[in-house]
Amino acid sequence: MDSTSNRAVMLELVDVSHSYHARRANFERGIHRVLDNVSLALRRGETLGVIGGNGAGKTTLLRLMAGIVAPSSGLIRRAPGASCSLLTLGLGFQPNLTGRDNARLSALLQGATRQQAEACLESIQAFSELGVSFDEPVKTYSQGMRARLGFSTALQTHVDVLLIDEVLSVGDRRFREKAAAAMRDRITGEQTVVLVSHSDRQIADMCDRAAWIDGGRLRALGGVDEVLEQYNA
Amino acid sequence: MTLRHYLSLIDDIARMALKADAARFYFGYLWWLIEPLLYVAVFYVVFDVLLGSKRADFLAFLMCGKLTFIWFSKSVIQASRSIVASKGLIGKIDLPKSLFPLASVQEGMYRQLAVFALLLTYLMAQGYAASASWLWILPVLVVQYLLIVLASLIGAYLVCLVFDFTLIIGLAMTFLLFTSGIFWDVRALPNPQMADWVLTLNPLAFLIDAYRQVLMYGHVPDLVHLAVLGLVIAVLALLTLQVYRRNSQFLALRVITS
Repeated sequence: MDSTSNRAVMLELVDVSHSYHARRANFERGIHRVLDNVSLALRRGETLGVIGGNGAGKTTLLRLMAGIVAPSSGLIRRAPGASCSLLTLGLGFQPNLTGRDNARLSALLQGATRQQAEACLESIQAFSELGVSFDEPVKTYSQGMRARLGFSTALQTHVDVLLIDEVLSVGDRRFREKAAAAMRDRITGEQTVVLVSHSDRQIADMCDRAAWIDGGRLRALGGVDEVLEQYNA
Repeated sequence: MTLRHYLSLIDDIARMALKADAARFYFGYLWWLIEPLLYVAVFYVVFDVLLGSKRADFLAFLMCGKLTFIWFSKSVIQASRSIVASKGLIGKIDLPKSLFPLASVQEGMYRQLAVFALLLTYLMAQGYAASASWLWILPVLVVQYLLIVLASLIGAYLVCLVFDFTLIIGLAMTFLLFTSGIFWDVRALPNPQMADWVLTLNPLAFLIDAYRQVLMYGHVPDLVHLAVLGLVIAVLALLTLQVYRRNSQFLALRVITS
């Protein structure tokens, strides 16, 4: 029995299904089923890896957990007062604003007060290694600089349940390693995490348990090794 | 999210948007004044130079109407698209959806402050006496702001439901442009009963007339009418905000899957 199995449940999905009406052409509509009867529980401090092919419903699962959309049926329970939020690489940067203003705006949108946002700008600038470019418009940035700003901003997200959708590989090799190390520190600490990844290694390295989503259904849930074995079979 | 945080976020988003907007254009902040003045110029050419207005004070009359009308129409059109325009953000973070139209309205208000400064300067240059009675535009301004908030909230919600509403809203603005007494005087209508109807049924016509009463003629606006109008709009806006709160996740789904 692993160390987290008797801890408090932070987030629980009970028979969650999600579908919506999608418009195919003018006046024509069809039901699009994304998730079908998914049940799982997430305990404090654990890291759950989610694997599955493209279009399996992984992003939708995270959106449901974050409370961005509501399930069509079923129930999502959160521990009282627990905040769940998606970790994203920059909340839609405004190319005409400076890196500093974009970082500030991201922090404010994620619930920081003005003082808190101001306080975390220093560490964002330092971690991103953008130097003086931090005060130049983002439209002058290279792809890699944008990614660094995005990652450094995302690292400032402080929530009870962190939902991560493939953000670990950004920038050049050196920055990528630094980012991966910072992320590993966050994940393996007391943070409760749901991590979506296509990399078996990442899942094996960082997660306590794994879930395999296929065609909107939960195909397997359990120890990382056995789930990965079934997934790759 | 506390109310204080919600309100400061509206203001922060608005100010960032202004900054980004000014950085995009060569003339930057100057466009806040250039654009409305160009509108006034077009109307002046058509209704005074070409058609020949009978009023000597036509330009002042037109500016009072047109500059306040643009505040309404531009804000509502922009705010109506604000939720669907934030698709990327809405798919990533659970925010109150009313934030987007309200930030857009706030952005419009900051621009409008510069326009009001221009309008007052022009009127003074034309010899209209600036006096304490001009302060009566403040309550008129507040009620117009509330009206913009209400129309924007409703517009943005409808555009989320069906994108086609952007076209309808554009048409509605053209309709209001002709029916709100911008280049004609409501009070000069041949049928006085008709004038009453217009002022009662079209809040924009009432507000535009109120601006003129205060700024051009030094009169106190119809305060009872203004208070009732403000109250009705405020109640409707609060109700609309409740609808937003209740349907936040539904709106997110509409935007993400549209």
